[in-house]
Amino acid sequence: MSKVSQYRSQNTLSQVDNVRPHRFFQQLWQPNRHLEMRRADKFSLQQLVEAYNQTRVDYIVPMPMNVARLNEYIKLYDIDLTASWVALKEETIHGLGMLGIRKDRAWITRVGVLPSGRRKGTGRAIIERLLQSAEERHLTTIWLEVIKGNEPAYQLFLTSGFQPTRELVVARRPPDLREFSGNGYFNGENIVRMVDVSRSTAFNLLDKRHARPNWLIESESFYNVPDLQAIFVECEDGAQGWAICQPDKFQLKHIVVEALQGDPASVSCRLLKALHERYFTRDAIMENLPEQDPTWQGFKNAGYFDVFRRIEMVKNGHQN
Amino acid sequence: MHQCQPFIIDRVTTILHIEDNRANQVLVERVLTAEGYHITHADDGESGIQAAISGKPDLILIDMGLPDIDGQTVVTHLKQIPNLQTVPMVAITAWPAEKALETAKRYGLSGCILKPIDVKSFPIQIAKYVEPGR
Repeated sequence: MSKVSQYRSQNTLSQVDNVRPHRFFQQLWQPNRHLEMRRADKFSLQQLVEAYNQTRVDYIVPMPMNVARLNEYIKLYDIDLTASWVALKEETIHGLGMLGIRKDRAWITRVGVLPSGRRKGTGRAIIERLLQSAEERHLTTIWLEVIKGNEPAYQLFLTSGFQPTRELVVARRPPDLREFSGNGYFNGENIVRMVDVSRSTAFNLLDKRHARPNWLIESESFYNVPDLQAIFVECEDGAQGWAICQPDKFQLKHIVVEALQGDPASVSCRLLKALHERYFTRDAIMENLPEQDPTWQGFKNAGYFDVFRRIEMVKNGHQN
Repeated sequence: MHQCQPFIIDRVTTILHIEDNRANQVLVERVLTAEGYHITHADDGESGIQAAISGKPDLILIDMGLPDIDGQTVVTHLKQIPNLQTVPMVAITAWPAEKALETAKRYGLSGCILKPIDVKSFPIQIAKYVEPGR
Protein backbone atom coordinates (compact mmCIF):
# COMPACT_ATOMS: atom_id res chain seq x y z
CA MET A 1 0.00 0.00 0.00
CA SER A 2 1.45 3.38 -0.92
CA LYS A 3 1.86 5.98 1.75
CA VAL A 4 -0.81 8.19 0.20
CA SER A 5 -3.43 5.45 0.00
CA GLN A 6 -2.48 4.34 3.49
CA TYR A 7 -3.10 7.89 4.63
CA ARG A 8 -6.41 8.15 2.77
CA SER A 9 -7.70 5.05 4.50
CA GLN A 10 -7.56 6.85 7.83
CA ASN A 11 -10.96 8.45 8.33
CA THR A 12 -9.83 10.72 11.11
CA LEU A 13 -7.74 12.81 8.75
CA SER A 14 -10.02 12.78 5.74
CA GLN A 15 -11.55 16.17 6.48
CA VAL A 16 -8.16 17.82 6.46
CA ASP A 17 -7.41 15.97 3.23
CA ASN A 18 -10.50 17.48 1.59
CA VAL A 19 -9.51 21.01 2.44
CA ARG A 20 -6.04 21.36 0.95
CA PRO A 21 -4.78 17.98 -0.16
CA HIS A 22 -1.78 19.19 -2.13
CA ARG A 23 -0.18 21.34 0.49
CA PHE A 24 -1.07 18.98 3.31
CA PHE A 25 0.53 15.95 1.65
CA GLN A 26 3.59 17.98 0.85
CA GLN A 27 3.99 18.86 4.53
CA LEU A 28 3.20 15.38 5.71
CA TRP A 29 5.24 13.21 3.43
CA GLN A 30 8.14 15.14 1.97
CA PRO A 31 11.12 15.30 4.25
CA ASN A 32 12.91 18.60 4.52
CA ARG A 33 15.12 18.67 1.42
CA HIS A 34 17.63 21.03 2.97
CA LEU A 35 18.41 18.67 5.79
CA GLU A 36 21.60 16.71 5.84
CA MET A 37 21.57 13.39 7.70
CA ARG A 38 24.89 12.44 9.28
CA ARG A 39 25.73 9.28 11.20
CA ALA A 40 25.71 9.77 14.97
CA ASP A 41 29.14 8.15 15.39
CA LYS A 42 30.62 11.19 13.62
CA PHE A 43 29.77 13.27 16.69
CA SER A 44 31.19 13.23 20.20
CA LEU A 45 28.95 12.03 23.02
CA GLN A 46 29.10 15.58 24.40
CA GLN A 47 27.68 16.96 21.13
CA LEU A 48 24.96 14.32 21.10
CA VAL A 49 24.04 15.02 24.72
CA GLU A 50 23.83 18.76 24.14
CA ALA A 51 21.63 18.28 21.09
CA TYR A 52 19.44 15.68 22.82
CA ASN A 53 18.90 17.88 25.88
CA GLN A 54 17.87 20.75 23.61
CA THR A 55 15.27 18.54 21.95
CA ARG A 56 13.70 17.83 25.34
CA VAL A 57 13.60 21.30 26.91
CA ASP A 58 9.83 21.63 26.55
CA TYR A 59 8.83 17.96 26.83
CA ILE A 60 6.22 16.63 29.25
CA VAL A 61 8.96 14.58 30.90
CA PRO A 62 12.27 16.25 29.90
CA MET A 63 14.72 13.55 31.16
CA PRO A 64 17.99 15.31 30.26
CA MET A 65 21.22 13.29 30.16
CA ASN A 66 24.92 13.84 30.66
CA VAL A 67 27.73 12.04 28.85
CA ALA A 68 28.01 9.30 31.49
CA ARG A 69 24.30 8.60 31.32
CA LEU A 70 24.23 8.52 27.53
CA ASN A 71 27.23 6.21 27.51
CA GLU A 72 25.46 3.86 29.94
CA TYR A 73 22.28 4.06 27.85
CA ILE A 74 24.17 3.13 24.69
CA LYS A 75 25.73 0.08 26.36
CA LEU A 76 22.62 -1.13 28.20
CA TYR A 77 20.26 -0.93 25.29
CA ASP A 78 22.63 -1.93 22.47
CA ILE A 79 22.49 1.38 20.66
CA ASP A 80 24.46 1.33 17.41
CA LEU A 81 25.67 4.86 16.67
CA THR A 82 26.63 3.84 13.13
CA ALA A 83 22.92 3.18 12.54
CA SER A 84 21.79 6.33 14.39
CA TRP A 85 21.38 9.71 12.75
CA VAL A 86 21.72 13.43 13.33
CA ALA A 87 19.81 15.92 11.17
CA LEU A 88 21.68 19.09 10.30
CA LYS A 89 20.90 22.22 8.40
CA GLU A 90 23.83 24.48 7.54
CA GLU A 91 25.97 22.61 10.07
CA THR A 92 23.48 23.26 12.88
CA ILE A 93 21.92 20.23 14.56
CA HIS A 94 18.14 20.19 14.18
CA GLY A 95 17.38 16.76 15.56
CA LEU A 96 18.56 13.23 16.16
CA GLY A 97 17.41 9.66 16.58
CA MET A 98 19.10 6.46 17.71
CA LEU A 99 18.75 2.81 16.80
CA GLY A 100 19.24 -0.13 19.13
CA ILE A 101 19.93 -3.50 17.47
CA ARG A 102 19.42 -7.01 18.88
CA LYS A 103 19.54 -10.00 16.55
CA ASP A 104 16.94 -9.29 13.85
CA ARG A 105 15.18 -6.56 15.82
CA ALA A 106 15.65 -2.81 16.00
CA TRP A 107 14.51 -0.23 18.53
CA ILE A 108 14.08 3.44 17.76
CA THR A 109 14.90 5.71 20.69
CA ARG A 110 16.03 9.19 21.73
CA VAL A 111 14.25 10.74 18.75
CA GLY A 112 13.97 14.46 19.18
CA VAL A 113 13.79 17.67 17.22
CA LEU A 114 15.11 20.96 18.51
CA PRO A 115 12.45 23.67 18.78
CA SER A 116 14.06 25.49 15.82
CA GLY A 117 13.60 22.44 13.58
CA ARG A 118 10.00 21.59 14.38
CA ARG A 119 7.10 21.53 11.89
CA LYS A 120 9.57 21.31 9.02
CA GLY A 121 9.61 17.57 8.41
CA THR A 122 12.73 17.00 10.52
CA GLY A 123 11.18 14.30 12.71
CA ARG A 124 9.85 12.38 9.71
CA ALA A 125 13.21 12.64 7.94
CA ILE A 126 14.95 11.18 11.00
CA ILE A 127 12.44 8.33 11.31
CA GLU A 128 12.73 7.51 7.61
CA ARG A 129 16.53 7.40 7.83
CA LEU A 130 16.39 5.16 10.92
CA LEU A 131 13.97 2.81 9.14
CA GLN A 132 16.33 2.74 6.16
CA SER A 133 19.21 1.84 8.49
CA ALA A 134 17.13 -1.03 9.89
CA GLU A 135 16.22 -2.21 6.40
CA GLU A 136 19.86 -2.12 5.26
CA ARG A 137 20.70 -4.44 8.16
CA HIS A 138 17.77 -6.78 7.38
CA LEU A 139 16.11 -6.06 10.74
CA THR A 140 12.55 -7.27 10.34
CA THR A 141 10.83 -5.88 13.42
CA ILE A 142 11.22 -2.36 14.70
CA TRP A 143 10.02 -1.28 18.13
CA LEU A 144 9.69 2.06 19.85
CA GLU A 145 7.88 3.76 22.71
CA VAL A 146 6.25 7.16 22.84
CA ILE A 147 5.18 8.97 25.98
CA LYS A 148 1.41 8.83 26.33
CA GLY A 149 0.03 12.26 25.58
CA ASN A 150 2.74 13.24 23.08
CA GLU A 151 0.22 13.31 20.26
CA PRO A 152 2.44 14.81 17.50
CA ALA A 153 5.03 12.06 17.99
CA TYR A 154 2.35 9.37 18.22
CA GLN A 155 0.79 10.55 14.95
CA LEU A 156 4.21 10.67 13.30
CA PHE A 157 4.86 7.05 14.25
CA LEU A 158 1.37 5.93 13.19
CA THR A 159 1.81 7.52 9.78
CA SER A 160 5.25 5.91 9.52
CA GLY A 161 3.63 2.47 9.72
CA PHE A 162 3.92 1.71 13.45
CA GLN A 163 1.04 0.14 15.33
CA PRO A 164 0.43 0.44 19.08
CA THR A 165 0.86 -2.84 20.95
CA ARG A 166 0.32 -2.03 24.63
CA GLU A 167 0.52 0.60 27.34
CA LEU A 168 3.53 0.56 29.67
CA VAL A 169 3.76 1.92 33.19
CA VAL A 170 6.65 3.95 34.61
CA ALA A 171 6.38 4.04 38.40
CA ARG A 172 8.46 5.16 41.35
CA ARG A 173 8.74 4.46 45.02
CA PRO A 174 10.49 6.86 47.38
CA PRO A 175 12.06 5.17 50.40
CA ASP A 176 10.07 5.47 53.59
CA LEU A 177 12.70 5.30 56.28
CA ARG A 178 10.08 5.17 59.02
CA GLU A 179 9.00 1.73 57.85
CA PHE A 180 12.21 0.03 58.83
CA SER A 181 12.72 -0.56 62.49
CA GLY A 182 14.82 -3.70 62.33
CA ASN A 183 12.21 -6.40 62.00
CA GLY A 184 10.60 -4.99 58.88
CA TYR A 185 8.86 -6.91 56.18
CA PHE A 186 10.92 -10.05 56.17
CA ASN A 187 9.00 -11.43 59.13
CA GLY A 188 5.80 -9.52 58.43
CA GLU A 189 5.33 -11.09 55.01
CA ASN A 190 5.81 -14.70 56.15
CA ILE A 191 8.88 -15.19 54.01
CA VAL A 192 10.50 -18.42 55.16
CA ARG A 193 13.43 -18.42 52.77
CA MET A 194 15.22 -15.71 50.86
CA VAL A 195 18.35 -16.51 48.88
CA ASP A 196 20.61 -14.51 46.60
CA VAL A 197 20.58 -15.81 43.07
CA SER A 198 23.74 -16.06 40.96
CA ARG A 199 24.13 -13.99 37.81
CA SER A 200 23.84 -17.00 35.51
CA THR A 201 20.69 -18.26 37.31
CA ALA A 202 19.25 -14.74 37.09
CA PHE A 203 19.69 -14.81 33.31
CA ASN A 204 17.92 -18.18 33.17
CA LEU A 205 15.02 -16.80 35.16
CA LEU A 206 14.83 -13.70 32.96
CA ASP A 207 14.75 -15.84 29.82
CA LYS A 208 11.78 -17.84 31.15
CA ARG A 209 9.45 -14.95 31.91
CA HIS A 210 5.76 -15.57 31.25
CA ALA A 211 5.22 -12.49 29.08
CA ARG A 212 7.25 -10.71 26.42
CA PRO A 213 9.22 -7.97 28.13
CA ASN A 214 9.69 -4.53 26.64
CA TRP A 215 13.13 -3.67 25.14
CA LEU A 216 14.28 -1.82 28.29
CA ILE A 217 13.85 -4.90 30.46
CA GLU A 218 14.62 -7.65 27.97
CA SER A 219 17.21 -10.21 29.05
CA GLU A 220 19.74 -8.54 26.72
CA SER A 221 19.53 -5.32 28.77
CA PHE A 222 20.41 -7.28 31.91
CA TYR A 223 23.35 -8.97 30.20
CA ASN A 224 24.78 -5.46 29.99
CA VAL A 225 24.14 -4.58 33.66
CA PRO A 226 27.41 -5.09 35.55
CA ASP A 227 26.05 -5.05 39.11
CA LEU A 228 22.90 -7.13 38.85
CA GLN A 229 21.21 -8.28 42.09
CA ALA A 230 18.70 -11.11 42.24
CA ILE A 231 16.75 -12.75 45.05
CA PHE A 232 14.48 -15.76 45.29
CA VAL A 233 11.86 -15.96 48.04
CA GLU A 234 9.66 -18.70 49.37
CA CYS A 235 6.74 -17.95 51.70
CA GLU A 236 4.97 -19.93 54.41
CA ASP A 237 1.91 -20.38 52.19
CA GLY A 238 4.00 -21.94 49.39
CA ALA A 239 4.20 -18.78 47.27
CA GLN A 240 7.46 -18.38 45.38
CA GLY A 241 9.02 -15.78 43.16
CA TRP A 242 12.11 -13.86 42.21
CA ALA A 243 13.15 -10.25 41.84
CA ILE A 244 16.02 -8.75 39.88
CA CYS A 245 17.26 -5.18 39.94
CA GLN A 246 20.25 -2.93 39.45
CA PRO A 247 21.15 -1.04 42.62
CA ASP A 248 23.38 1.99 42.19
CA LYS A 249 24.54 4.62 44.67
CA PHE A 250 21.15 6.31 44.94
CA GLN A 251 18.57 4.21 43.10
CA LEU A 252 17.15 0.79 42.40
CA LYS A 253 16.65 0.49 38.65
CA HIS A 254 15.62 -2.15 36.12
CA ILE A 255 13.32 -3.83 38.61
CA VAL A 256 11.68 -7.03 37.42
CA VAL A 257 9.62 -9.39 39.59
CA GLU A 258 7.99 -12.65 38.68
CA ALA A 259 5.72 -14.99 40.63
CA LEU A 260 6.42 -18.70 40.21
CA GLN A 261 3.78 -19.96 42.67
CA GLY A 262 0.83 -18.14 44.19
CA ASP A 263 -1.07 -14.96 43.42
CA PRO A 264 1.19 -12.70 41.28
CA ALA A 265 0.09 -9.47 42.99
CA SER A 266 0.69 -10.87 46.46
CA VAL A 267 3.99 -12.55 45.58
CA SER A 268 5.36 -9.50 43.77
CA CYS A 269 4.42 -7.24 46.68
CA ARG A 270 6.25 -9.51 49.14
CA LEU A 271 9.29 -9.71 46.85
CA LEU A 272 9.42 -5.96 46.50
CA LYS A 273 9.11 -5.39 50.21
CA ALA A 274 11.98 -7.81 50.81
CA LEU A 275 14.03 -5.99 48.16
CA HIS A 276 13.27 -2.60 49.67
CA GLU A 277 14.18 -3.76 53.12
CA ARG A 278 17.60 -4.70 51.82
CA TYR A 279 18.05 -1.40 49.92
CA PHE A 280 15.99 0.72 52.26
CA THR A 281 17.64 4.07 51.49
CA ARG A 282 17.28 3.84 47.71
CA ASP A 283 14.78 5.58 45.52
CA ALA A 284 13.18 3.02 43.18
CA ILE A 285 12.25 3.33 39.51
CA MET A 286 10.28 0.69 37.66
CA GLU A 287 10.01 1.18 33.91
CA ASN A 288 7.89 -0.23 31.13
CA LEU A 289 5.79 -2.84 32.87
CA PRO A 290 2.71 -3.61 30.76
CA GLU A 291 -0.27 -2.14 32.57
CA GLN A 292 -2.11 -5.47 32.25
CA ASP A 293 0.69 -7.36 33.97
CA PRO A 294 -0.66 -8.98 37.17
CA THR A 295 2.41 -7.87 39.15
CA TRP A 296 1.51 -4.17 38.67
CA GLN A 297 -0.95 -4.45 41.54
CA GLY A 298 1.89 -5.85 43.66
CA PHE A 299 4.04 -2.84 42.82
CA LYS A 300 1.22 -0.53 43.88
CA ASN A 301 0.70 -2.44 47.11
CA ALA A 302 4.42 -2.11 47.83
CA GLY A 303 4.21 1.69 47.60
CA TYR A 304 4.89 2.42 43.92
CA PHE A 305 2.93 5.16 42.20
CA ASP A 306 2.26 5.76 38.53
CA VAL A 307 4.44 8.58 37.17
CA PHE A 308 3.68 8.41 33.46
CA ARG A 309 2.80 5.96 30.71
CA ARG A 310 4.42 5.00 27.44
CA ILE A 311 2.78 3.49 24.38
CA GLU A 312 4.79 0.66 22.87
CA MET A 313 4.59 0.48 19.08
CA VAL A 314 5.89 -1.95 16.48
CA LYS A 315 6.48 -1.98 12.74
CA ASN A 316 7.00 -5.23 10.97
CA GLY A 317 9.37 -4.80 8.05
CA HIS A 318 7.46 -7.25 5.90
CA GLN A 319 4.34 -5.06 5.99
CA ASN A 320 5.97 -2.46 3.71
CA MET B 1 38.09 52.20 78.43
CA HIS B 2 35.95 51.28 75.55
CA GLN B 3 33.15 48.87 76.14
CA CYS B 4 32.42 46.49 73.34
CA GLN B 5 28.92 46.89 72.04
CA PRO B 6 27.18 43.72 71.05
CA PHE B 7 26.28 43.77 67.41
CA ILE B 8 24.12 41.62 65.20
CA ILE B 9 25.17 40.47 61.77
CA ASP B 10 22.18 40.38 59.45
CA ARG B 11 22.27 36.88 58.09
CA VAL B 12 21.32 36.69 54.46
CA THR B 13 18.98 33.88 53.55
CA THR B 14 20.74 31.48 51.20
CA ILE B 15 18.88 29.52 48.56
CA LEU B 16 20.51 26.63 46.71
CA HIS B 17 19.12 26.26 43.21
CA ILE B 18 19.80 22.87 41.60
CA GLU B 19 19.09 23.34 37.90
CA ASP B 20 20.92 22.40 34.70
CA ASN B 21 19.38 25.00 32.42
CA ARG B 22 21.51 28.16 32.39
CA ALA B 23 18.65 30.45 31.34
CA ASN B 24 16.53 29.25 34.25
CA GLN B 25 19.45 29.72 36.65
CA VAL B 26 19.92 33.32 35.51
CA LEU B 27 16.22 34.12 35.76
CA VAL B 28 15.84 32.72 39.28
CA GLU B 29 18.99 34.48 40.45
CA ARG B 30 17.91 37.81 38.99
CA VAL B 31 14.46 37.70 40.57
CA LEU B 32 15.50 36.45 44.00
CA THR B 33 18.70 38.50 44.37
CA ALA B 34 16.58 41.61 43.90
CA GLU B 35 14.52 40.46 46.89
CA GLY B 36 17.57 40.17 49.13
CA TYR B 37 18.28 36.47 48.92
CA HIS B 38 21.69 34.98 48.30
CA ILE B 39 21.53 32.36 45.53
CA THR B 40 23.98 29.53 44.94
CA HIS B 41 23.76 27.16 42.00
CA ALA B 42 24.46 23.55 41.20
CA ASP B 43 24.23 22.23 37.64
CA ASP B 44 23.37 18.63 38.42
CA GLY B 45 22.26 16.27 41.16
CA GLU B 46 25.64 15.14 42.47
CA SER B 47 27.04 18.66 42.73
CA GLY B 48 23.71 19.75 44.24
CA ILE B 49 24.06 17.18 47.01
CA GLN B 50 27.62 18.33 47.70
CA ALA B 51 26.59 22.00 47.70
CA ALA B 52 23.72 21.28 50.11
CA ILE B 53 25.99 19.41 52.51
CA SER B 54 28.75 22.02 52.47
CA GLY B 55 26.58 25.14 52.32
CA LYS B 56 23.57 24.15 54.44
CA PRO B 57 21.22 26.54 52.66
CA ASP B 58 17.97 27.87 54.12
CA LEU B 59 15.97 26.61 51.14
CA ILE B 60 16.67 24.22 48.28
CA LEU B 61 14.97 24.65 44.92
CA ILE B 62 15.26 21.53 42.77
CA ASP B 63 14.54 20.99 39.11
CA MET B 64 13.02 17.51 38.74
CA GLY B 65 14.79 16.76 35.45
CA LEU B 66 18.55 16.78 36.02
CA PRO B 67 21.12 15.23 33.70
CA ASP B 68 22.82 12.84 36.13
CA ILE B 69 20.35 11.91 38.88
CA ASP B 70 16.78 13.14 38.73
CA GLY B 71 15.39 15.60 41.25
CA GLN B 72 13.31 13.05 43.16
CA THR B 73 16.37 10.94 43.87
CA VAL B 74 18.34 14.00 44.95
CA VAL B 75 15.58 14.85 47.42
CA THR B 76 15.55 11.26 48.68
CA HIS B 77 19.26 11.47 49.42
CA LEU B 78 19.19 14.96 50.95
CA LYS B 79 16.41 13.98 53.33
CA GLN B 80 18.63 11.26 54.78
CA ILE B 81 21.32 13.77 55.79
CA PRO B 82 20.63 14.79 59.42
CA ASN B 83 21.75 18.44 59.01
CA LEU B 84 19.37 18.96 56.12
CA GLN B 85 16.22 17.33 57.43
CA THR B 86 14.67 20.63 58.46
CA VAL B 87 15.63 22.50 55.31
CA PRO B 88 12.59 23.09 53.10
CA MET B 89 12.95 21.61 49.61
CA VAL B 90 10.78 22.80 46.77
CA ALA B 91 10.47 21.29 43.29
CA ILE B 92 10.54 23.50 40.23
CA THR B 93 9.12 21.57 37.33
CA ALA B 94 7.36 21.80 33.98
CA TRP B 95 5.34 18.67 34.66
CA PRO B 96 1.56 18.84 34.54
CA ALA B 97 0.34 20.35 37.83
CA GLU B 98 -1.45 17.28 39.12
CA LYS B 99 1.53 14.99 38.59
CA ALA B 100 3.95 17.57 39.98
CA LEU B 101 1.90 17.96 43.17
CA GLU B 102 1.54 14.23 43.66
CA THR B 103 5.28 13.67 43.19
CA ALA B 104 6.12 16.51 45.57
CA LYS B 105 3.81 15.02 48.19
CA ARG B 106 5.09 11.48 47.77
CA TYR B 107 8.71 12.58 48.07
CA GLY B 108 8.08 14.74 51.11
CA LEU B 109 8.86 18.03 49.42
CA SER B 110 7.64 21.23 51.04
CA GLY B 111 5.97 22.26 47.81
CA CYS B 112 6.33 22.68 44.09
CA ILE B 113 6.45 25.63 41.72
CA LEU B 114 5.45 25.14 38.12
CA LYS B 115 7.52 26.31 35.17
CA PRO B 116 7.59 28.74 33.53
CA ILE B 117 7.96 30.78 36.69
CA ASP B 118 6.01 34.01 36.95
CA VAL B 119 8.55 36.67 37.94
CA LYS B 120 5.91 38.68 39.82
CA SER B 121 4.54 35.91 41.98
CA PHE B 122 7.77 33.91 42.32
CA PRO B 123 9.16 35.93 45.28
CA ILE B 124 5.81 35.55 47.06
CA GLN B 125 5.89 31.80 46.45
CA ILE B 126 9.44 31.63 47.83
CA ALA B 127 8.58 33.74 50.88
CA LYS B 128 6.13 31.03 51.94
CA TYR B 129 9.13 28.87 52.73
CA VAL B 130 11.73 31.42 53.91
CA GLU B 131 12.00 35.12 54.56
CA PRO B 132 14.88 37.18 53.14
CA GLY B 133 17.36 38.31 55.83
CA ARG B 134 15.38 36.66 58.60
